[in-house]
Amino acid sequence: MNIKIRNTFTEIISVAIAIIWMYSKLNEAANMSIASITQVLVQGIGISILAAIFFAIVIHIVSAIITKSKEKNVVDERDNIIEFYALRLSNVIFGISLLIILALLGWFNLHINFGIIAITLSVFLASICSTFLKIYLYK
Amino acid sequence: MAKKKIHIENTVRRLRFNNNEMTQLELADLVGISRQTVVAIEKYKYTPSLELAFKIALAFNKEIQEVFFIN
Repeated sequence: MNIKIRNTFTEIISVAIAIIWMYSKLNEAANMSIASITQVLVQGIGISILAAIFFAIVIHIVSAIITKSKEKNVVDERDNIIEFYALRLSNVIFGISLLIILALLGWFNLHINFGIIAITLSVFLASICSTFLKIYLYK
Repeated sequence: MAKKKIHIENTVRRLRFNNNEMTQLELADLVGISRQTVVAIEKYKYTPSLELAFKIALAFNKEIQEVFFIN
């Protein structure tokens, strides 16, 4: 497994941890205030960033121990193209998700709390989809 | 002009072996790309930019058309 796929898996793990943590905190979202919901969401985003850094370091160290060599992380034009495709997919998914969320909020008259949570989750969904695309293209 | 996808092939793999069995990593270091990109180029899964194609050709002391060609 090369360094780029390892980094991509790190992103998936960190996003998954953040989603699970937020899900455990937001099980009674309808009864929570907007302030407490946004606090949980911001904490969730912070956890995903910290988890990404932590797992990147751990996986890098474990990989170096197993392979007994330091792999260089060279970024070339193909990587930039793959990043561009992933970013484009991420933008499309987030845009579509946002439209669907707004439509659902309007038609079903849902609580605004669900809207805020859904928008944050759509960011994570877009991130996961772009990550899977990167794994597919790096193969 | 009708849109027709052209299939660009290359002789990178053969040239590597003709150059003292140069490894993919050695070629990658020489032209400043990752080994995975060399693998993708050799399998015709990725067509490099003109700049990178020239760099690869220069690494083998060949003309660009000797390395990359349309099949």
